[in-house]
Amino acid sequence: MTNTDTVTPDESSPVPPPGRARHKIWRPSAQSPIVTAALALLLGLAVGAIIIIVTTPAILDAWRSIFHSWSGIGHAIKVTFDNVGAAYRAIFTGSIVDPASLWHSITTGHGWDNTMTPISETLTYTSPLLIASIGVGIAFQTGIFNIGANGQAVLGGIAGGVIGSMLHMPMVFHLPLTMIAGIIGGMIAGAVPGVLKAYTGAHEVITTIMFNYVIYSFLLFVVLSTPFQQPGQQNDIGRMMDTTAQLPPLFGTSSGLRVNYGIFVAAAVVVFAWWFLDRSSMGFDFRVTGANPTAARASGINAKRVIVIVFLISGGLSGLAGMVQVASTTHFIDGTFLIGNAGIGFTAITVALLGRNRPMGIMWSSLLFAALGVGGRSMQAATGIPLDLATVIQSVIVIFVATPVLVKEIYRLRGSSESTLQLANKGWNS
Amino acid sequence: MSVVETAAEEQSVVIMPSGRTKAIGVIMAVIGVFTIWIFAFGSDASAHSQITFNPINLGTDAPWLVGTLTVASRWTNLILGLLMVAIGVEVYVRRPRRLVMARFGVVAIMFFFALLVWVARTPGPAPVPYINLTALLINASAVTMVLIFGSLSGVMCERSGVVNIAIEGQFIGGAFLGSMIASTTHGFFSFYYAAIVGAVVGGLIGLLLAFLAVRYRSDQIIVGVVLVTMLTGLASYFTSQVFTPFPQFNTGNLAPNVAIPLIDKIPVIGPVLFNETAFFYVAIILVGVVSFALFKTRYGLHVRAVGEHPRAASTVGISVERVRYINVVLGGAIAGVGGVALMATSGQFQPGYTNGYGYIALAAMIFGRWRPSGAVVASIIFGLSVPLAQLLGQYNVPVSIYILNMFPYLITIFVVAGLIGRVRAPAADGIPYKRE
Repeated sequence: MTNTDTVTPDESSPVPPPGRARHKIWRPSAQSPIVTAALALLLGLAVGAIIIIVTTPAILDAWRSIFHSWSGIGHAIKVTFDNVGAAYRAIFTGSIVDPASLWHSITTGHGWDNTMTPISETLTYTSPLLIASIGVGIAFQTGIFNIGANGQAVLGGIAGGVIGSMLHMPMVFHLPLTMIAGIIGGMIAGAVPGVLKAYTGAHEVITTIMFNYVIYSFLLFVVLSTPFQQPGQQNDIGRMMDTTAQLPPLFGTSSGLRVNYGIFVAAAVVVFAWWFLDRSSMGFDFRVTGANPTAARASGINAKRVIVIVFLISGGLSGLAGMVQVASTTHFIDGTFLIGNAGIGFTAITVALLGRNRPMGIMWSSLLFAALGVGGRSMQAATGIPLDLATVIQSVIVIFVATPVLVKEIYRLRGSSESTLQLANKGWNS
Repeated sequence: MSVVETAAEEQSVVIMPSGRTKAIGVIMAVIGVFTIWIFAFGSDASAHSQITFNPINLGTDAPWLVGTLTVASRWTNLILGLLMVAIGVEVYVRRPRRLVMARFGVVAIMFFFALLVWVARTPGPAPVPYINLTALLINASAVTMVLIFGSLSGVMCERSGVVNIAIEGQFIGGAFLGSMIASTTHGFFSFYYAAIVGAVVGGLIGLLLAFLAVRYRSDQIIVGVVLVTMLTGLASYFTSQVFTPFPQFNTGNLAPNVAIPLIDKIPVIGPVLFNETAFFYVAIILVGVVSFALFKTRYGLHVRAVGEHPRAASTVGISVERVRYINVVLGGAIAGVGGVALMATSGQFQPGYTNGYGYIALAAMIFGRWRPSGAVVASIIFGLSVPLAQLLGQYNVPVSIYILNMFPYLITIFVVAGLIGRVRAPAADGIPYKRE
């Protein structure tokens, strides 16, 4: 992720042709979205550092001491770097690899499980995030802003949890059935705003957000007052999924590594999205609708059908993401499922934007954001700095990515790329 | 949208497509049938319902007391239901071109009343044999006030052509800092300082939005949503870094009520409208101020011109960027005060306690067709639904409380989809302006 930081603007690079400059994506130039993303990452980390500085009493005390004597300034700078460094080091070692542990494993040949745990955790959290982000990204490409991915994922998780825990059968049938249940759950949650938008014109930004809240209430209802509640429990906990419905760990349960077959589901979704958007005729209709609704209507594309189907696909993928989240990590649902900073549906929006709604871009950015989230957890454990810092950093990154001109101005780069992230349908009149 | 309408066009009557009018007629008839079926025949033939109007705690400045309204539950609801069906049929058959919404409002009020009668029926499952209408309306006024602040913020921004999705974030920012200021200052002006700080933080968020949306022409919906994500994260972060170790910064003082002499004695209306926190009066005054500023002043004409046709506005010498900056910052400040108002009526700040009110306020603004007065009506509908859902839970309605909690959001979806549908926003709303 950080190897692109050293890229310098290449003045001689030709300006890419307008439109989709996908094939030139790796060319290191100020126009490249990757350079923008990497620079935005640096800015996001800088903002995070500022927030750490103003909220850590030790740092503030050190700076306060320079009012007494100027000699304290070196100490203050050292304390600042120590604290911020410790936080970011914890993010790195908690999400990618701990160099000390890696060295230990290489020299002694033992403890590989321990060394691989951070990257395994990152991959575990990447799978559902990636699937949900692909769903959001496909909707974005069609000009639809699906903010309801989180609710759709919750409903998918509920549906998967119900099928996975209350039916019993061999894994060959159970796991696929559970996945289908998750997809259908998400589709139901996506179909409502989709049908409403297509046939009544209700704007999806309002309806999907409202539907998120409806589904949170439904989640509490399901885990507190239906047979799905864990028997013998008074708390908001759902039933445990059967082992036949869980996504098994890649290296067996004995390794302790949680990385699981969910990554293959995620990979299949990436391939599907690439095929769908770039190779299928319906995907072409979708992209035309997103790029120019008027042209789409003129060329005979049925806008209502496109809207409903895109919500079905987007919701279905989000639902699958919720199901994968349950089946690969906790194996049960509780009342806080995907709430707050665990809300993969909201992170998915930022991931899709960072990845410019392209399947490959979304894959890299979901790895980055999953790493930030997992690393944030270990930062919280190691330094006491709340995990929410990761959310803030992610948002800052996306704000900068959505405003590439600002990034270029901050870094004084050349290049006149005007390709800001824009939804095709703006405002409420769409 | 092919015809570019001028900003002066404001008096035109909203004419609904006749298909939607018929659908609304059907909806009203269905509501009437539902009322008859559940509320009328769901009550005992001998059941009576009591509705009381006196506030629960009768202090020194209690209003003049009025008696209790006792009605026969089944017959009242039967008559109300039949009336609703009649209005629905009338709309379906005659398809009136105007006042459809007014009729819907009447049906909604009748349904609300029928619901109260059904809930309070004795013999019935209710723990107490009466419903206190005034207490319910007082609770509703708190939520309504917050939504009015939010939707006014939306009107300010969107009339100038910038979509402000970040209202929720401005609520969060205002509520967070408002709680901090209100907890650390004392005396009469405590919430006055809190409101100023809330306005400043809301305005700063608005400035950031305007900076990105006007200067860099970023997509306003994307930036708005991401701003909300960021402020939610920040609020959660600062709550665990500041409020958890230092609870004295988040004591959750409630703003004192300021009674207006004499008229606060009027039954029902007095306690609900004239014995409120200062924030409530500010909200009401702001409705008038924003209305007047937008529709009766030269500056308001500029704003609407910029929101409808920025190029034309620019041609006659109006600075599009300046107008948008000013309006988005002012709108943000209003929403920031709304956040303080939310905190001043609901207590200790917690992450996520804005409950999506910012988005409901957006829906209220759309329902109100980008006018302050319309936004107020919509805010009242949404504001009533929140305490009503809680009240139904207390009265042992045979529906799970978790399902009842969906009520405000379902109403929002229903209103946005069923009653409004495709809307006509200011023509340049959400579209970045690029100077030639």
